[in-house]
Amino acid sequence: MNILLILIPVTLIVIGIAVALFFWAVNHQQFDDLDSPAVLPLLDDPPPRDDSDAACVEAEKHRD
Amino acid sequence: MNTLAAWAHPQLAAQVIRPRRDGRSEIALRVDGLRDARQVLALEQLIHALPGVQRVAIDAPAGRVRVVWDARRTSLPALLGVFAGARCSAQPLRHDSIDDARAEEMHAALKRLLVGGMFAMQVMTYAFVIYIGVVDFVDFTTRGLFRWLSLLSTVPIVFYSAQPFFAGAQAELRQRRLGINLPVALAVALVFLASAVNTLRGHGEIYFDSVSMFVFLLLGGRYLELRARHRSGALGDAVIDATPLLAERRRADGTLETVAALALVPGDRVHVAEGGTVPADGVLESGTVRVDEALLSGESRPVTRHAGDRLVAGSVVLTGPAQLRVEASGAHTAAARLGALAERARQARSPAMQAGERDASRFVARVLALTVLTALGWLLVDPSRAFEAAVAVLVVACPCAFALTLPATLTRAFGLLAQHGVLVTRSDALQPLARADYALFDKTGTLATPQLSLADITPLRGDTPAQVLQWAAALAHESSHPLARALADAAAAHGPPPRAEAVQVTAGAGISGTLDGRALRLGQPGFALPCADAAATATMDGALLLADADGAIARFQLAEQPRPDAAATLASLRADGVSLAIASGDSASRVAPLAATLGVDDWHARQHPADKLALLEDARRRGHVTLAVGDGSNDAPILAGADVSAALASGTGLAQAHADLLLLDGRLDGLANARVIARQVRDVVAQSRRWSLAYNLLAVPFAAFGLVPPWLAGIGMSLSSLAVVLNAWRVGGRA
Repeated sequence: MNILLILIPVTLIVIGIAVALFFWAVNHQQFDDLDSPAVLPLLDDPPPRDDSDAACVEAEKHRD
Repeated sequence: MNTLAAWAHPQLAAQVIRPRRDGRSEIALRVDGLRDARQVLALEQLIHALPGVQRVAIDAPAGRVRVVWDARRTSLPALLGVFAGARCSAQPLRHDSIDDARAEEMHAALKRLLVGGMFAMQVMTYAFVIYIGVVDFVDFTTRGLFRWLSLLSTVPIVFYSAQPFFAGAQAELRQRRLGINLPVALAVALVFLASAVNTLRGHGEIYFDSVSMFVFLLLGGRYLELRARHRSGALGDAVIDATPLLAERRRADGTLETVAALALVPGDRVHVAEGGTVPADGVLESGTVRVDEALLSGESRPVTRHAGDRLVAGSVVLTGPAQLRVEASGAHTAAARLGALAERARQARSPAMQAGERDASRFVARVLALTVLTALGWLLVDPSRAFEAAVAVLVVACPCAFALTLPATLTRAFGLLAQHGVLVTRSDALQPLARADYALFDKTGTLATPQLSLADITPLRGDTPAQVLQWAAALAHESSHPLARALADAAAAHGPPPRAEAVQVTAGAGISGTLDGRALRLGQPGFALPCADAAATATMDGALLLADADGAIARFQLAEQPRPDAAATLASLRADGVSLAIASGDSASRVAPLAATLGVDDWHARQHPADKLALLEDARRRGHVTLAVGDGSNDAPILAGADVSAALASGTGLAQAHADLLLLDGRLDGLANARVIARQVRDVVAQSRRWSLAYNLLAVPFAAFGLVPPWLAGIGMSLSSLAVVLNAWRVGGRA
């Protein structure tokens, strides 16, 4: 039964860590928007870039 | 782009940007045109791509976006430009509408719930060991250890998670009333203290598992309720944000442009139409006007203001148009007061918690008495079971579900109504609406909208129709009457109207003013031609006449179109058993066709406000519950006099509305929807109350006889509360 004396404090430490992690997540707005992340993988458009950026890509293509 | 650049003005920016401690800026925007989640994410990425943006939070259903960014790296116009580029129009909101309270309340509730859940599970495992240990293999000292561990794990639950109950109970005691938090706090404190004492003594029953589960389940129910409340609150806010207070600013060339009141800067000249709300503090430049400052000073009688006097933002101009020069000094106080206007609308919308609690406090008193009786009874019979039974009664009989019924249902209903374009300004308006069986409608502006086409203009002195229309519009522009607005709208197609001087509006008659040195009068024939005899004007009944000192210039025959949704709304009300009536100040020849079109037999023409009120009083004497529908300020007496009233108005019309319901966007069909929802609310509230009472009555005897352990009582209490909250969602289910 001595194993209990080690394992019980371990569970308490695990709870402490879990609560700390959860508090961090709540404080950093991780739970504020529960709807839009669900559609994030469905986005197929590449992230929009500046026109100047696109122009550079075009210019490089022509150089090749 | 012009309007975007205006936001670079430091005084404007100061009204909408909230500086943060870390040197960054924060702004809340109202965004239209967010349809699907993909668009929301694309917009989010676009904003994030700007330099210096730290955080973007988009609430798509409420149409709100909050951005935290470094204003030194990206200017406000540049930020707004991104929205314009994404084809979503963004309107900055006043910085004090950035509402942290909601998010923080949510965060705190979530943390408390999770701490409660984690430690409750821990306590349950210990309790399990103890239950088995009594039977079998764990020896007595181990059992003592687990009792101490249970105590240790319950401490965060009682002292952190259960805080809202203790704080609530304290507040209730301070206000000397009995609320639902008191029995909960009492039960938690009693059970915890008794168990802690037994742990210290080393023998006796402990209930740490019960108390922790109790707190966890209650917090779960409250969290769900909080979410539902915030959701519908945000929807209501969205409606208010969508109708910002507008101002008509005079450009340098004398023409008017419509801007948000927020965007006014000192020195601007603003035109306030009759019946309009003063958008900013300023000095009156035009002639004498009468002003209603009831909202600001509580003084209900109108006050008279002369040229050079100051007008305060939020007051309502009752007579004649006013010309205002915006002042520098008052900008902040005025802005705060306008914020208070919107706040009033918000508060009126938030369900009256008190209404439910008033009933609950009588209930709580009985619960406490019952608990004491149970304890006394058991002390006589079997003292060892007195404590457990008393706690069980305390928990089982607690009227949580009962007290939740009204707020939960109203919250749901108000959120739904806001979606239908109906704002409720008096929280107990739904009850008479559900019972109403007599509806009195105003005609012009309510059931019908006047329209004017060029064919209906008869110049009487050889001018062209377009020319006389311009002259008439110069006067009509200064009034908010539906007929005047129809004239001004018709003229708007031909360019901005010329500017008239010394304009005076005479309620119920017409408008007079000077245009290019010529005194013009527009209105009913009797007003336009004050010197003509009655016989001459009688032939022109029902038309508007434009005249100068030499006589009539032109006649305008306005045709009235019933609102597109008027027939359907009236039909559904009639099908619902409401007797309908129309009362109009207009002549019989114009009321009769409309009444026939809409199928209303009971119509009254040539009614003064006092006559309309008499009609209402008469209906009420006959035992009817009366509903009055008008178009805002000019129907004030009947709107105030009816059991329940509705006005077609914008959200900012709240300032002057005496109505209990506001129908936004000129949608009459909201009324039929509101009535359906009001009936559902009535039924659901009655049903939920029956349920919760039945549950309490059924469970109390079992608890009193010691058959219900406290943990089971806790589950029953949470489930009954949850059932009530879920039942509230039936409102609007089958509209």
